[in-house]
Amino acid sequence: MHFLPIEFIGAIRAEFPPRFLEEFISERSELEVFGRDATRDIAPNPSAVVFPRTTEEVSKLLRLCSAHNVSVVPSGGRTGLAGGAVAANGELVLSLEKMRAIGEVDVVARTVRVEAGAITEAVHRHCEKHGLTWPVDFASKGSSQVGGNIATNAGGVRVIRYGLTRQWVLGLQVVLANGDILELNGALEKNNTGPDLRQLFIGSEGVFGVITAATLKLAPVPPPASVFLLGLSSIDAVLSLFRELRRAPLTISAFEFFTDRCAARVSRHRRLEQPLSTPTPYYVLLELEAIEFSDVEPLLQSLFEKELIVDGTFAQHAAQAAALWSLRESISESLSATGRPHKNDIALPIAELESFCIKLEKLIETQYPGWELCLFGHIGDGNLHVNIMKPDALTEHEFCEHTARVDHAIFALVAEHGGSISAEHGIGLLKKDYLRYSRSPQELALFRAIKRVFDSKNILNPGKIIDL
Amino acid sequence: MKILVPIKRVADPDNANKLKISSDAKVDTTGLEWKPNPFDEYAVETALRLTENGANTKARVGEVVVVMFGPKEAESTLRAALATGADRAIRIDANDADLDGDVVAQGLKAIVDKEKPDLVLLGKQTVDSDSNQVAQLVAEYLGWPQATFAATIRSEGDKALHVGREVDGGTLHLKVTLPAVVSVDLRIVAPKSVRSAHTAEGHAYPDGVRFAALMAIMAAKKKPLVEEKLSDLVPGATRKIEYTSFALPPARAAGIKVKSVQELVQKLKAEAKVL
Repeated sequence: MHFLPIEFIGAIRAEFPPRFLEEFISERSELEVFGRDATRDIAPNPSAVVFPRTTEEVSKLLRLCSAHNVSVVPSGGRTGLAGGAVAANGELVLSLEKMRAIGEVDVVARTVRVEAGAITEAVHRHCEKHGLTWPVDFASKGSSQVGGNIATNAGGVRVIRYGLTRQWVLGLQVVLANGDILELNGALEKNNTGPDLRQLFIGSEGVFGVITAATLKLAPVPPPASVFLLGLSSIDAVLSLFRELRRAPLTISAFEFFTDRCAARVSRHRRLEQPLSTPTPYYVLLELEAIEFSDVEPLLQSLFEKELIVDGTFAQHAAQAAALWSLRESISESLSATGRPHKNDIALPIAELESFCIKLEKLIETQYPGWELCLFGHIGDGNLHVNIMKPDALTEHEFCEHTARVDHAIFALVAEHGGSISAEHGIGLLKKDYLRYSRSPQELALFRAIKRVFDSKNILNPGKIIDL
Repeated sequence: MKILVPIKRVADPDNANKLKISSDAKVDTTGLEWKPNPFDEYAVETALRLTENGANTKARVGEVVVVMFGPKEAESTLRAALATGADRAIRIDANDADLDGDVVAQGLKAIVDKEKPDLVLLGKQTVDSDSNQVAQLVAEYLGWPQATFAATIRSEGDKALHVGREVDGGTLHLKVTLPAVVSVDLRIVAPKSVRSAHTAEGHAYPDGVRFAALMAIMAAKKKPLVEEKLSDLVPGATRKIEYTSFALPPARAAGIKVKSVQELVQKLKAEAKVL
């Protein structure tokens, strides 16, 4: 158990309204909830949790933290998968969840100003009434928060169509470790006045500053999409299918794939049945924008003839489309609920996917003989989620030792193919030791130098991404 | 067994917030998304299960004919039913505004007289008008036995059905001699609710309604779909029910924030008058 310096508590009592200390959490069970994200590899151990209501309170708090050398972990919806929001060393958790106001939608500029704690799905619902959406979308949208999405430059299921979170943030309000409040880029689409500091904070995992509000860029709600679930016999077929579809005059808004192992876990946990009558080892969830079925019929026919597709279905209405999507969106949750997955989230250049997959399969066969591999991901943007399930016979410790060893081999392979060791989960605590597979020594040195400029005392999310 | 399944398309209830009422108090259907009435989807699934061996759902034993009253653009709903396995479709050209439960029941009687099915199988009600009349009226016009709100059906070939009906506090089991009219309830699509004479005892279906295979969706375009005229089936059809006006539920008043418990109690007494 860690305790905050008594002088720090005294300063808070003097400078904040009584509510601030009343809401202060120091109960052990609750600390464990707020002290970690969706990562289960690292035990949480925060000293306390605070809930500021305004940017000024965040600023005042960080100023005091700097003065008293109190380390801070910014915390949002805690859905992260790399330990970026884990307070493992007695840090103070700064939860943004009480700062969740969503402003008026500007339908002409297509923007909305929101506080960092706004829930992603609430933003979607808020904008939907105006025919607009913030096209950052993923399975945990019901609890993830905008601030966290920006701090991790979140990916998700629409990246192939809309890109990462970075593309959809116009303005950013950030509080630095010394309490300074920065307003970056306002709500400007065009602003060519030198280097764009805003971009430094997007994807920085809270090590440069705490994001407190953002002006989000919105897009029109796309017309109802056509959703297919396709059954395929090999990973080669999955990749060939992607190539065929990319050549066709279609707008692909999702190309998600998963294996029968994933489907089996989903069916065990969520009781969702796999709707195709022919069992196949690979499945693709394909979403195409605004087409008539007859438009793609000749293409589908040819894909069947080439035996790229073994079986498939097409959602006939919105409820069926939602049912097909839930097969994909339930995977991550189902793996964790039915076992202990070790997660890797890697990205490869599309051109390298095929040769990488062949080598990965071999590597996994030799390193994890007979272990359960649950492979899924967003092939459309080169992103694979490689999940190894812990065999019952191994202890947690043995399992982690083994996976850490294999990770080095996997990441060396990723580097060899010009890929990234973290496509969308971030680095956090979990992938820190492997960052050198994706970033050069020069890059890491620059990164450390920039960190010192923003946070010389290293109080903001210390130990995340890199060690100083 | 030959089964006739009347189906209807309804505005997607998931898009209920898009429903608009025009200035003359009519439902404005522009921009609505359509889907089959869920209970009718269950009826189609039930008909498919009754005419197959659960272990081999590709071969049909008997015939499933889907029939719908609606405009030309509603044919996609019939094609979707054909894609899941129905053999033929009939569309009776009509607009919703010309129909009520009685006109539909008379039209269906005319179709039954032509088609001579062993069974008319339909949803217990539609989720838009919620009137729950058509099955009962058709049975009356045909002079056939009826079993409504079926939760289970076990087939004894083409002669009779054992039907478990949803009733308050339990299930009522009865045997119906064919031809008959049966309307289905929610639980009819549970894994073991329906068993045909060809399906092995204990066979379990996936829960819910089956998805159409891509190949079947393509093949469904070539399945027969014929059009009939309502005026030919029911000369001089007139509605017995007239919808006079529609209104949306009143909008909820915005909430307020109180500063203290005293103010809350005072407002509950003076304004809400609940204390």
